[in-house]
Amino acid sequence: MNQNMAAAMELRCWGGDWGLPSVHSESLVVLAYAKFSGAKLTVSPIDWTWKTLTATVPELICGNSALQEPTQILNFLRKQRFNADYELSARQGADTMAYIALLEEKLRPALLHTFWVDAENYANVTRPWFASRSPFPLNFLVPSSHANTALSRILLTKGEAPLHRISEVEGKIYSDAKECLNLLSYRLGSANYFFGNSPTSLDAFVFGFLAPLYKASLPSSPLQSHLRQLDNITGFCDNILAVYFSSDHPCPPPPVQETMDANLQKLTQLVNKESNLIEKMDDNLRSSPQHKPHRPDPKPSPASEKNSTPA
Amino acid sequence: MSLAAEAFVSQLSAAEPWPETATLYQPLKEDQILLSDCASSLAVQAYLRMCNLPVRVACRANAEYMSPSGKIPFIQVGNQVVSELGPIVQFTKAKGHSLSDGLDDVQRAEMKAYMELVNNMLLTAELYIQWCDDATAAEISRPRYSSPYSWPLSNILAYQKQYEVRRKMNAIGWGGKTLEQVYEDVSQCCQALSQRLGTQPFFFNKQPTELDALVFGHLFTILTTRLTSTELAERIKSYSNLLSFCRRIEQAYFEDKSS
Repeated sequence: MNQNMAAAMELRCWGGDWGLPSVHSESLVVLAYAKFSGAKLTVSPIDWTWKTLTATVPELICGNSALQEPTQILNFLRKQRFNADYELSARQGADTMAYIALLEEKLRPALLHTFWVDAENYANVTRPWFASRSPFPLNFLVPSSHANTALSRILLTKGEAPLHRISEVEGKIYSDAKECLNLLSYRLGSANYFFGNSPTSLDAFVFGFLAPLYKASLPSSPLQSHLRQLDNITGFCDNILAVYFSSDHPCPPPPVQETMDANLQKLTQLVNKESNLIEKMDDNLRSSPQHKPHRPDPKPSPASEKNSTPA
Repeated sequence: MSLAAEAFVSQLSAAEPWPETATLYQPLKEDQILLSDCASSLAVQAYLRMCNLPVRVACRANAEYMSPSGKIPFIQVGNQVVSELGPIVQFTKAKGHSLSDGLDDVQRAEMKAYMELVNNMLLTAELYIQWCDDATAAEISRPRYSSPYSWPLSNILAYQKQYEVRRKMNAIGWGGKTLEQVYEDVSQCCQALSQRLGTQPFFFNKQPTELDALVFGHLFTILTTRLTSTELAERIKSYSNLLSFCRRIEQAYFEDKSS
């Protein structure tokens, strides 16, 4: 493809977790589109830097220009001849715009609510995740500022009457979102992608919006359980993850059972290491009355090091 | 009102036939109504005419405050009040009048998607031009919006409305857009609608649906409303099939019944 582009492109986005390359919908849209179109992006997660507060995410930096918002970035990539929509007819291009509008209007408010406003999800999933990825003292600031933005966006776009109250709009945004999921499911049918055999920008948008909802382990979410019942949509997400994000995945979290096994293994190794160490120290102590603290081997087993990265 | 209560009420109302006294409320037509409200109101009127449901249009200076959702327009049918096109479509459906019954699931998905495109692009662009373009806001929107009220209430209400809309624009990321970018978005939206319509008489071939009513309401209003600049209408005029679509619906549903 067109890999000999002059300027290197750097994408700043939130990092990955839950089996996804990024937990952030908009970042995920851009990452997916880049994979679909063959654009080579240098991905630099903003996790643990001060950019968690200052940067607008996702942001594409190419030479002197910086672009924000998925739509802008996708337009830019298309102009750089990274076009995943090349084979679409004009009518399909129009459909793409319409379905993206549908996602924005019907699904986004409910997604924002699920992750940022729903108290249980926010306290157990969203806030801990974003707090742990922000450096001190931003960890106190970043999650709540995102939550405030999300809440005010929902109220301003979907709120009714001058005195907006969140409880009045909740029912409506969730029923809208469920309807939107159903419509997407009808539209996708049994196909792999929305248009033909290769993924396009609409697939990137749907994947970006739905994958976090599908993969996050949320304590309370009627929307998530609704999504998990739509087999073709979950299959669609799994397929894109498997085809486009499996090989270079930064840290694929293993399934739960394997994690337990790995932890057990690590524990055993640690215990062994300790006892070895104690034995040797004991020997050292016995052989030399003076304190000569040369530790025999700080990291005796390379296997344990490999396993300890996720922890 | 909760969703369950709403569902219950619409169940109850299903039995009753459409009364002759059904009324649609909107702001004063000559002096007060703004482009976006006029477009939404026309879309609902077109929809009801397509369904062959008679409705009387009543202009009230305080229509916005009468509406249960604070949005224009709303209809009063018997003892029920419903606002905005989406809920009104559901309401008429409960009464057994629907334009989209003939569509299959995929077509219905497509129809809803295009309706959201119109809401997301055209309606937002109208609001942007009305309240975020300083010339239009000062010359048209604020004076018209506040025309029924005397000073200082007129100023307070107009600036409050403007502040509200600008906050909304900032929240959805339109705050930083220039007028030119907004026109460009309108062009793109019209391009998509024009592509989708093609040479068909209506969006889903022979029969009009609520999508046709919504598109007609917005395009016709933009074409026939005078603003500080004609740029918005010019953008639409470059799509000839959309123009003839508007003319077709106007002739079929508004001219012969205007007596």
